[in-house]
Order: sequence, then C-alpha cells, then structure tokens
Amino acid sequence: MSKKYRVLAVDADPDSNLADALGIEGYRTIGQIRELFQHGRDEMRTINKESWIEGKIYGEVVFEVDDFDLLVMGRPEGEGCYCFVNNMLRAVLRKLMRHYDIVIVDCEAGLEHFSRKTIPEADTIIVVTDASRKGFKTAVRIRELVTELGIKAGIYLIANRIGEGDEGTVAELAGKENFKLLDTLPYDEDVAKADLEGLPVPLNSKVAKRIEKLAEVLICEAKS
Amino acid sequence: MERKKIKVPKKVKKKASVGEETFPFDISPMYEGERIRKGEMYVELGGPKQVGFELVVALPTEEVEDMKVTLVGNDLDELEEGKAHPYAMIYYVAGSQIDPDLEPVIERRNHDFQNFIEGYMHLNQRYDIWVRIGKNAIGKGLKSLTQIAKATMMLFKNEMPFIEKIEALYITEGKLVEKLLKEYAMPIYDERDARVESLHDEDVNEFYSCTLCQSFAPTNVCIISPDRPSLCGAISWFDGRAAARVDPEGPNRAVPKGELIDPIGGEYTGVNEFAVEESGGECERVKLHSFFEYPHTSCGCFEVIGFYMPEVDGIGWVHRGYPEPAPNGLTFSTMAGQTGGGKQIVGFLGIGVSYFRSKKFIQADGGWYRVTWMPKELKQRVERFIPEDIVDKIATEEDARTIDELKEFLEKVEHPVVTGVVRPVDNKRITDGWVKEKEVKEVKEGRAEPATQQVSPSSGVSISPTQGIRLVIKDANIYIDKIVLRKKKNEGE
Ligand SMILES: Nc1ncnc2c1ncn2[C@@H]1O[C@H](COP(=O)(O)OP(=O)(O)OP(=O)(O)O)[C@@H](O)[C@H]1O
Ligand code: SF4
Ligand SMILES: [Mg+2]
Repeated sequence: MSKKYRVLAVDADPDSNLADALGIEGYRTIGQIRELFQHGRDEMRTINKESWIEGKIYGEVVFEVDDFDLLVMGRPEGEGCYCFVNNMLRAVLRKLMRHYDIVIVDCEAGLEHFSRKTIPEADTIIVVTDASRKGFKTAVRIRELVTELGIKAGIYLIANRIGEGDEGTVAELAGKENFKLLDTLPYDEDVAKADLEGLPVPLNSKVAKRIEKLAEVLICEAKS
Repeated sequence: MERKKIKVPKKVKKKASVGEETFPFDISPMYEGERIRKGEMYVELGGPKQVGFELVVALPTEEVEDMKVTLVGNDLDELEEGKAHPYAMIYYVAGSQIDPDLEPVIERRNHDFQNFIEGYMHLNQRYDIWVRIGKNAIGKGLKSLTQIAKATMMLFKNEMPFIEKIEALYITEGKLVEKLLKEYAMPIYDERDARVESLHDEDVNEFYSCTLCQSFAPTNVCIISPDRPSLCGAISWFDGRAAARVDPEGPNRAVPKGELIDPIGGEYTGVNEFAVEESGGECERVKLHSFFEYPHTSCGCFEVIGFYMPEVDGIGWVHRGYPEPAPNGLTFSTMAGQTGGGKQIVGFLGIGVSYFRSKKFIQADGGWYRVTWMPKELKQRVERFIPEDIVDKIATEEDARTIDELKEFLEKVEHPVVTGVVRPVDNKRITDGWVKEKEVKEVKEGRAEPATQQVSPSSGVSISPTQGIRLVIKDANIYIDKIVLRKKKNEGE
C-alpha cells in the first residue's frame, strides 16, 4: 500500500507501541520537542519559534522508513502552560499532514490528540475490538466521543483475535450496537509468535494480508 | 553598523543573470509544508551537515541592481547528487521605506516564499537553514539556483511591494560561505538581536494581545510588550508581532498603545480599551509594570507567582517547580489557585520568568528593590539580571523559610524594605520602611498571633500597619477585603 501512496503513520498513543509493532527505533517524539521548547524558549532570543518547531519536527521527529514516514506524538505534557507551543504544533502538523495521501493515526481510547486538536480531523475512524463485552463498550464510548468532538468521520468496527465459532456472536453484537462491521479477523499464530520474539507484525501473515485488502477498500471509499 | 555590498573575489567561479524569466516549476502556497524525503532529494543545501545562512541587507537604492542574481560556486548540475553542500542566500534590498530595522521582517519571508516552490524545502532560519531540492523539481526542468533566486525575488516584490529593488547573491563555495557567515552575517545578526533586546515599550507603537487561554479563563487577556513578555513565558513581543503578521485575526492581535497615561506603571489608553473589550468589561485598567495597582490579569498559566508580604512590606516570588511553602506559608499551587482565572487580584501577580529580565520589572513598586525572597533555583536562573547592590539581600529558602526568619535576614542585610524603598525609575521614596521596634511589638501583641502570622499573608494586607503602602492600598481596597475575609475565617476555625 505504501508503495503506491505517500503514507504517514502517527503513533498517538502516549504508551507508544506502534513503532515497536512496525519495528522502528531511534526516533524523537513531538513530546520531546515540546519539552525542549519549554526549557529553551527563554534563550531563543529573536528566532522565529514556529520555524524552530517546524525545523525540529521535519528534521528530527518525522522518521523516514523505507516506504513511509513515522511520527510519534510521545508522552503527554508536563506541568505549566502549553497553550502557545500546542498552538504552533497544530499549525505545523496541519501543514505537514496535508502533503500525504494517507495519514494513519494509532490512538488511545481517549482520543486525546483529537480533543486537543493537535490532529485536526479524520475521514475514517476504525475501532478495533475483541469479542468481549468490555471491548464493545469501549467501542460505543469512542463513538460517543467522536460525536462529542464534532469529528465528521465514518466509523467502522474491526473485530480482532476472534476465536473460531465466535464470528456469529460478534456480528450480532455489532448489529445490536449499530456498528458497521468491516471484518472479523482470526487469532493468528504468526502474529503472536512474532510478538513474543520481539519482531514486528509479519507482513506475510494471514491477518496482515487481510488488513492490506481492507486498507485498499477504505482508501477507495475515502477517495470517492 | 554600516551595510556594505559583498565584494566577490575575482578568481572564483561565478555567473550572473538579470531580469525576469518564466519558470519550469510551479509556485504556489499549496507546496508549503512539503517535506522532501532523503530518497527523493536531489541535493541538500546547508542543514546539519553543511554550513549555510540566509541574510537580507538593506542598501541605498543606487547600489542595488534590480532582479540580478550572482551565483558563486557550483550550480545544481555540478553539485554531487544525493549529497549536502554549503549554501548562502544573500539579498540586497532597497526602497524608500526600507531601513535595517526591516531586514529581519523581510528575511523571515524567505522561508515562506521558498516553500512555495514545488520540490524545494526550506527549514529553519538564519545560520540554521536547511534546504532540500527534490528530484521532482529537476525532472520538471529546474537547472540552476539562479532560477530559485529569481523566483524568490519575484515573490518578494509581489508580496512586499515596498521592496523597490532586490538583488541576490547565492554561494555554494564552502570556504566563502564560512568566511562570510563569520565576518559579514554574524555581526549583523548580533546587532539585530541586541537591538531587539534593548527595545522598550516606548520604542514601539503596538503591543500584542494573546487570547489563547480564554478557553479556560474567559476574561483573561495577556498583553505582551517589549518590556513585558507573556506570563506563560512563551511569547515575547517579537513572537507576538510575528504571529499577528501571519494571522491578524488570530489569537495574537496588534494592540495600538494609544495615549500614555502612566509612564511608570505602564498604563496606556489603547491597552485599557482592549482590556475592557476582551474581558467583557471585567477589567477596565491595566498597568503593565505595577504589582499593586491594576495589575495584569493571570489565566493560571504563569511560570512564577509574586506575593506581597505585608509583615516585611516586600514581595516574594515562587516558581511552579518549587514544592515547599513560601515564607507566607503558601505553596505555589495554593496561590496559583487564588490568582488564576483572569481576575485582577491585588497582592498576587503571575509572570513569566523572562519578565525578570525586563528593565521595567515591577518598576512602579520599586522593581528588584522591593523583592525580598525567592527560591534559590529561581534566583540562580535570573541572577544576572538582578542589580548588584541588591542581589545578596534577597533571601532564598536557605536564608529564611518563615516570615520571622525573613524579617531577621532582611534586617541583617539591611534590605531597602527595612528603611524604605526608593524606586530607581524616578528616585521616589515609595515605602517608609518598617515601623519602630516598639510599635511592631504592640501590633503583634494586639493581634496575638505571631505564630500563625506566617500563614496569613492576606489577612495582613487589610490591617497592615506599614505606612509605606498607603497609596497602593487605597486604590485596591475592594480586592484586598475580599481575600482577607475569606482567609481570616478559615484560620479562626
Ligand atoms: N489477530 C491477532 N492474532 C494474534 N495476536 C494478536 C492479534 N492481534 C493482536 N495481537 C497481539 O495482541 C497484542 C496487543 O495488540 P495491540 O497492540 O494491537 O493492541 P491495542 O488494542 O492497540 O492495545 P492498546 O489499546 O493498549 O493500544 C500484541 O502483542 C499483538 O501481537
Ligand atoms: S498565558 Fe500565554 S498562551 Fe495563555 S493567553 Fe497568555 S500569553 Fe497567551
Ligand atoms: Mg495500541
């Protein structure tokens, strides 16, 4: 997929693990730049601060992987006032993101970066759940949050790690909650094994292949 | 400093081109923010690996040859592909309204305009510039840096019509770039910084507002002047100006100063009008450099909070990172809780650390000569801005942790608050100093609370026996009463 499009992957989970899942190391995070700014700003004399932030993000945070770029948001802010730096971050990220065909954001359930508008909008929101009632509850909460935040995006559900025979229950639950169920993915030995060995998700695994197909469908839809 | 044209050495490789031309690449704001990846780049110029700088120089009109570009060193087709190379972009500008003060304003736009060019990425500023030219631009027919220079100059003239003439000198010859950076550009950057840093409220016509924090402090308006950076510490007057230029309707807007009402307190009609409007009438007057009289509001974002200690008739400061109680018995967060919310609270003032650098730092109330206490960490951070004759007289937690200890310390070092503060700005004596030993004792006995005194800073305000603050208290009566009543009750219980 990333061979055909310009792709930016954003890890917006403060407990960053997208990079791990993709097998990437040695990046800096937006959070680190934000702290650098907070501590260095008194000595910045007359330099343009927005341009400073932009330079840091473009030069040190955006991480070039073979055929896509990665941006890790990092830990949430510490004490003090972050209004100004966040405002600049928003402006820089907005400018950056519009140059990619696809921006894919891995969020935590609280969608913090959307509520703070560090990430401005989304076309499609995908909620991944397992077969548990708790998972579905979270999915419903996320949908409520999306409405509350005024994000105009299509919401889809993907059920993951579903044991054989549970597909029916999942479809039923999704139907009851009025979710568009995009796909039901099985438990995949290869994925679990790679995880234990500390390796990225193998791209030739069954699940990975299914996801690639899903992505094509979603892109088509977003484009139309 | 005098501005001179650079004399290009005779023997170096150079080419020149004059006049307008058409370009093989697109120019549009659409390309702003485009990031050129390593694999897509044809060459890198400046950046982390190579020396580079950009500079705009104002010259007399007869010295500038309009739309001429001179390139010294290798051009694009001679630079090794995939590598980083040295890069200098110097622009000479002329126009009846142009003087060296405008140089940084024009220079700043080089970043914007060059990013309009398809397949050209410009990052950072001054001697940190980092440029990448994409293979896509070369593919479209970009052949020479002179094309880049001309496109940029054209944008300058279109977007900034006060530029009557512009000429460019681009250099890729490393030794020359290095030499010019050191001998020609650096002194100009330094001079500009020094000028901006010595800029005062009286030197400018506009201040800037900030309303970013109104989402949680709806009546708060920050006013940012050369002598008063924002209380969150993030925004200087210079930053405010840059932001207001880019987005005049955004959170940072220009506030015309209007008439000067109080030169010492820093009160202006323009600021007052703006404050009334933005606070919905909540706040009618603001004095930028006053602690007691119509102080600047605080939205809760401040880095440091100042608190008045009536027992010593002096001011203490505590920063966000200091967890212990100040001599008044209160912690930063307790005081911040009372002071935030965008209201004028007399007796407390939120500021940014950089306000300590200001020549007008609470000048109406004696400036540094009224400061009696601050945590050691904070004091060390700002030490070089404290006048020499007072720096050792300001206590830290190592000298005093309670009001009594503070009193003892101040007396020992003969702090001005003991005998009366003369404010440097006009040599006026603004406090009478402490009342005689005997009287103090009486008061103490009368209140019968020497032990709790340290935790009742505000109760002191209302009945402070010190005459030195007479003037101040008059104007601020209502606010003080409010605080006092609440605090006293709590302690009585
Ligand atoms: N289909 C699958 N088959 C086998 N293992 C899986 C499958 N999907 C996910 N896993 C494993 O489950 C673990 C958690 O997955 P993942 O990190 O994607 O969860 P998450 O929902 O993003 O969690 P969080 O909410 O904490 O971010 C991983 O170690 C992953 O390897
Ligand atoms: S505290 Fe800072 S960010 Fe907030 S309104 Fe004031 S200047 Fe703006
Ligand atoms: Mg996750």
